[in-house]
Amino acid sequence: MADQTDETKGILKRISETPVWESVFRTGIPRNRRQRMMVILNNVFLHLHPVRLPKHGIKLKYTWCMGGLSFFIFLALTVTGILLMFYYRPTVEYAYGDIIDLKEQVPLGIMREIHRWGAHLMVIAVWLHMFRVFMTGAYKSPREFNWMVGVVLLVLTMLLSFTGYLLPWDQLAIWAITVGSNMAGATPLVGTSGPGSSLLAIGDVNFVTPSSDARFALIGGRFIGEAALLRFYVLHCIGLPFVIMIFMIVHFWRVRKDGGISSPL
Amino acid sequence: MESIKHFINIISAPYVMFPLILAVFFFIFPPTDRLLAIHKKLRLYKLWTNGGGIALFSSLIIIFAFGLTDSNFRRIVTKPDNVPIAGLIFLVVFFLWWSMKQAWENDERMAQGQGPREAEDAKEKVLVWPDLVYIELIALILCTVLLIVWSIFLKAPLEEPANPTVSPNPSKAPWYFLGLQEMLVYFDPWIAGVLFPTVIIIGMMAIPFLDTNEKGCGYYSFRERKMAVSIFMFFWLVLWVFLILVGTFLRGPNWNFFGPFEPWDISKLEALTNVNLSEIIYMIWLKQRLPQNIFLREIWGFLLIFFYFGAAPLLLAKTFLKNLYARLGSLRYSLFTFLLLMAVSLPIKMILRWVFNIKYIVAIPEFFFNI
Amino acid sequence: MGENGQPQNTAQTDPVVSKPVTRAGMEIASPPEGSADTAAVDRRSFIKWLAVGWSAFAAVAAGYGALVMRFFFPNVLFEPKQSFRAGFPEEYEMDKVSERFKGKHGVWIIRDSEKIYALSTVCTHLGCTPNWLENDNKFKCPCHGSGFYKTGINFEGPAPRPLERFKVSLDDGGQIVVDKSKKFQQEKGEWSDPESYLVV
Repeated sequence: MADQTDETKGILKRISETPVWESVFRTGIPRNRRQRMMVILNNVFLHLHPVRLPKHGIKLKYTWCMGGLSFFIFLALTVTGILLMFYYRPTVEYAYGDIIDLKEQVPLGIMREIHRWGAHLMVIAVWLHMFRVFMTGAYKSPREFNWMVGVVLLVLTMLLSFTGYLLPWDQLAIWAITVGSNMAGATPLVGTSGPGSSLLAIGDVNFVTPSSDARFALIGGRFIGEAALLRFYVLHCIGLPFVIMIFMIVHFWRVRKDGGISSPL
Repeated sequence: MESIKHFINIISAPYVMFPLILAVFFFIFPPTDRLLAIHKKLRLYKLWTNGGGIALFSSLIIIFAFGLTDSNFRRIVTKPDNVPIAGLIFLVVFFLWWSMKQAWENDERMAQGQGPREAEDAKEKVLVWPDLVYIELIALILCTVLLIVWSIFLKAPLEEPANPTVSPNPSKAPWYFLGLQEMLVYFDPWIAGVLFPTVIIIGMMAIPFLDTNEKGCGYYSFRERKMAVSIFMFFWLVLWVFLILVGTFLRGPNWNFFGPFEPWDISKLEALTNVNLSEIIYMIWLKQRLPQNIFLREIWGFLLIFFYFGAAPLLLAKTFLKNLYARLGSLRYSLFTFLLLMAVSLPIKMILRWVFNIKYIVAIPEFFFNI
Repeated sequence: MGENGQPQNTAQTDPVVSKPVTRAGMEIASPPEGSADTAAVDRRSFIKWLAVGWSAFAAVAAGYGALVMRFFFPNVLFEPKQSFRAGFPEEYEMDKVSERFKGKHGVWIIRDSEKIYALSTVCTHLGCTPNWLENDNKFKCPCHGSGFYKTGINFEGPAPRPLERFKVSLDDGGQIVVDKSKKFQQEKGEWSDPESYLVV
């Protein structure tokens, strides 16, 4: 190698021998078995994977690839979501107009479409992933805990989608949220229209009122308005993504720690 | 043509469709050996062969193609937010068929003394690079293409600006919550909106601890875990996906029921006067006024609920579910029966509503406590 | 424990052995209760203090949690005024549901043969706005199909209780004033309250 003259080397070859390249890609092009193992071990992203898998674990008919796709769609939603945040202002005055502008005035006007259809797709992908896990009995010992984490992820996925629903501030949005948030008002004990809330009172002083109940905590007011929009915006863009990422880290970690893809004994 | 549409309109009404599904469901996914024998005699397992899959899919496509000739059906299905649900039908049917096909093949192999196909595959180990990484890359690119094409051809819906004083008619929750919204027709918000979601989440988390069967881990199978699969399918397909479909396609103005080919007439009148259990007992059967005392008034409902959740599991443990009780032990058994009774209360309440117009079993609006 | 402590003290004064000095010195620095023959008592008190410590920690953490929860309930709400003038009683026709203030204030004003009352347009089921169907003579909620009579009494669908009524009064000029901050609920027997209607 070293005694080859510069003229006989191709340009790609020369680049791949520069110290910069070699410092980034330590294993080189994975040609032999050892390099193929090292490329997984040395790369922080690929390191989610094991080095070797039982053969059924890479078959589409076993995995349906739905778990991976859920994660990928989540990433796509994160990217498009960040892009949307550059134009969208979460106030009653501007929100609706900004959504129209995102379509009419901003180049690449399908960003909102990708975000919305992606959200639908993610819910479906998560369902199908759980369905596959159920049908292959992959929740059984030792993966019980990871199934529970998965249920939490499902709930968070739906909550993320639900909080995003309000942001366009159109009729569809506020009435879906009206129905949803009134359910919070029906929570036993801590919702004004929930059972037992009138028992939490001393004499005439009622502790659970429309301005101090579970519904209020969610929408920040007695009506769906400015405060609700802002709360849902913060939950949708920061709060819930933060929580779901923590659970995803645990989920992926435990997939590996519990023995990787489920296999017959 | 019109008579076919009329017929479909009639059978798609929940009070016809739901009992029909209940009647057929446990033959398709038999939870017990006896039902499995009937399943085999009826050759229903043919559904999970290639021929069955083609039949399933072509009938789905024919239904859709036929439906799309109708302007009303077309209007509902092509509404942007409903397109994912139409897609969902095909995806769910496809993956259902695919998983059951593999399960049935594995069952046949195991009946002949071989291991499941996955066990054979698992003997061989493959490297993740390049075998898996490339599959992932392809899946990822296909998914991106799908998303972009979908986004170009279908605009995201945006309705009129928000107006807090005018509810659109009908007002629907996001589609994945339509199952819950459908439950709201039969239950008070604190049950359908708070208690049921909580129980569903707890119930799902409890699955690995309730299903103590060690077989069927890591490969598709049905016969080894009939009961588990059957119950899961019932909850998922009937009580979740089916209710979503009803909520999306069959609920029109004023949340009235409309057949798929029935125009959404805003002034359709559905006379339903619902009565509470206490009113039936006191006013219709005993022919007297409702007692003033709340507790006395609702005592029958409380007794019923107490029997349902308290006594029924005990009776079942002594009779039908004797074996299950022995296998699960008392703690698991109580949790299992509680979750099961909770879930079954939905169909029960539906049937009570349709047959007796019952609104609440226990109705104490004074404390917002209605069951 | 005194006896046990003695040899260690001497070890500390021994200048030759360097390593044990530091170790012994550390033991001197710790309270004398730390010696071996009182270990049983120590463990008990240790657990006691551990319990106290963790309870205190949990209490403080719960306190922080409560404070954060409180953070979500601001002291001042910037919401629209809750009362409005609704014109003169003569403007309302007998047995008619007036939708004049439905859009702006969320109130139906209804006049029957003896009184005028103000009905909230918020469905008691999940807060949608029902529609007044003149031909069927009922309010029908589009979200889940609850139906209410003109009086506000629920008779069909999932609504658990009647619509709420608001306080109505006459101001000095003879105009109707609707005060939405005061509600009257039928199931609590409040509709007989004279503030909940106007006799005309």
